[in-house]
Amino acid sequence: MSQIVLRNISRRFGANWALKQVNLEVREGEFFSLLGPSGCGKTTLLNIIAGFLEPTTGEVYIGGRDITGLAPYRRDIGMVFQNYALFPHLNVFENVAYGLRIRKMKKAEIAARVERCLAAVRLEGFAERMPHQLSGGQQQRVAIARALATEPKVLLLDEPLSNLDAKLRKDMQTELRSLQRRVGITTILVTHDQEEALSLSDRIGILGDGELKQVGTPLEIYRRPANRFVAEFIGQVNLIEAQALPGADRPPGTLAFAARGHFAAPGEPLRLYAEEHPSLAGRESVLFMLRPERIRLSPEPPEGAAGVVELRIESVVYAGSAVRIAGVLPGGGELSALSSDPSFPVLPEPGGILYASWEPGDLIPIE
Amino acid sequence: MARTNRTPGAESAGKYRRNLFSWVMLTPGLIFLGAFLAVPFLLLFVISFRDVDNWMNMLPTYSLNQYLEVFTSRFYLHMIWTTLWVAVATTVICIALAYPAAYLLVRAPNRTVRTALYVILVSPLLTSVVIRTFAWIVLLAQNGLVNEVLMKLALISEPLRLLWNLGAVIIAYVQVMLPFAVLPIATSMGEIDPRLRQASMSLGAGRLRTFWKVTLPLTIPGMMSGAIIVFSLAAGSYITPLLVGGRLQPLLPLAIYQQVLQVANLPLGAAMSITLLILVGVLVAGMGLILRRWEGRMHG
Repeated sequence: MSQIVLRNISRRFGANWALKQVNLEVREGEFFSLLGPSGCGKTTLLNIIAGFLEPTTGEVYIGGRDITGLAPYRRDIGMVFQNYALFPHLNVFENVAYGLRIRKMKKAEIAARVERCLAAVRLEGFAERMPHQLSGGQQQRVAIARALATEPKVLLLDEPLSNLDAKLRKDMQTELRSLQRRVGITTILVTHDQEEALSLSDRIGILGDGELKQVGTPLEIYRRPANRFVAEFIGQVNLIEAQALPGADRPPGTLAFAARGHFAAPGEPLRLYAEEHPSLAGRESVLFMLRPERIRLSPEPPEGAAGVVELRIESVVYAGSAVRIAGVLPGGGELSALSSDPSFPVLPEPGGILYASWEPGDLIPIE
Repeated sequence: MARTNRTPGAESAGKYRRNLFSWVMLTPGLIFLGAFLAVPFLLLFVISFRDVDNWMNMLPTYSLNQYLEVFTSRFYLHMIWTTLWVAVATTVICIALAYPAAYLLVRAPNRTVRTALYVILVSPLLTSVVIRTFAWIVLLAQNGLVNEVLMKLALISEPLRLLWNLGAVIIAYVQVMLPFAVLPIATSMGEIDPRLRQASMSLGAGRLRTFWKVTLPLTIPGMMSGAIIVFSLAAGSYITPLLVGGRLQPLLPLAIYQQVLQVANLPLGAAMSITLLILVGVLVAGMGLILRRWEGRMHG
């Protein structure tokens, strides 16, 4: 029973509300990420769970117990900090043993536990080193070993990977996830890196302006963002506002819309066909999300697509595995598309024409 | 090729010019230091080996007689010992008192409060030594403020002898040297990453244990720097002990002052000066070594 429950958590700094009425349940053994832009309140929320900050209103429960007023050292949490916060005057062994000595464990037991924890993070033989003698990745692992050594109920990670270089970060992500699965500890990760959150988490909570904007699995968050904030924050999007065209011709099982600001020809709004969806019933105007990678680009108009639009290429960015192409419609309105590398024998040139098409199911209604 | 050959030459010429410029800028300072510090110091060293006749005239002979006198007389050995323990006591008291003060400075809620605390802290240094010491005389004399109050409260029946002893010297030392201990401790305390304390608490350590295991060890460098400054100042001052302790206190700086200006035995005064300098130098070097070791352990 080590689930974390936050009930009506608010926090005010002076006249600003850093957190507004946050309600959240993190399940036992879950890897949960709090994701949001800087200043969204995610670190404040983590500090409230850790006990370094008091919430202005609301309660924190760990394992069913109200710990709201409890001092941080009585909460039985493990925490890993962005700069690792290793004790510079203690060697690796003493850093990991720190929490165990406080718990007055026997010497032999401490030695065995530290050894096991260092082995878990693949740092055998580093016990005598001082923190300054370790690389960033190694310091990170010591910090994780130190946090796990006391076998806490909950592991809190405050942007633990953001100081590492890209390749090491990928390795540490994999390692962190498999370690968390092995130990089975309820974990909250605070990050501003959406890719990290998407690839590591069981579920993600998106924070913006102190509010929890959406909670869901990475798939739900990416494919079905609940609102404009989430849609714009996660990945790249084309957002298209559209007006319902109730009587118009349309393929079976779809609804027809006229895009605002996107024109298939001067003065002629781009016609959109979206899959029928309960949330669309009877709506006059809708905001659609179209992911760039859902847009197919071809040099000739494709046969049998529900909607095809001519695109004059504005920019082409080659990123190795993918090509990002931004273009404008004949009558105005921008569209950006992402194609995988092998789809073009030769990279298209700015100024050229491509035909963009997508399926009705690729248009995701938002709000 | 020609270009790659010329570039390093041009670079080193530029470097040479820059070096020359810094030397030119340094020259006045170096001349000043040479004339008024290095040369007098050398003279002091040479004079300490000269002999004197009965009228304190320097003789043209050189010997270790002055040093023999310093190190064989019980009087002077006692004086060396007293000088060192007074300096050590001052240092220990200063560090102990400076620690909470530094804590307050670092935890000041805002800049205004911090600035105010800094001004209060360094105010003793802004007062003339004579005024400061006179204030102590007013406070500590037989009929001074402290004795009057204690008598009025009937806590004592006759005035305590608070002035003209080593206790008074130490009190006056602590007052003026406290800022030199507070500032380095506050600096090293302010440099501690607050997340280290949070990490300690997240691992189950309460505030007191976090202080003992994290804050205190990480402020050792600040305490050592403060101790080095306070110790060297306390071992070498003579105005403060002269004014609140009297000229008869067994302190080396007072004896040097008397030998040079009253007895006019320059070689003996010089030998005592060199002795004091070497003793303080050795002790300070020892403290410096501990400081370096500790910092090396933490930061490589």
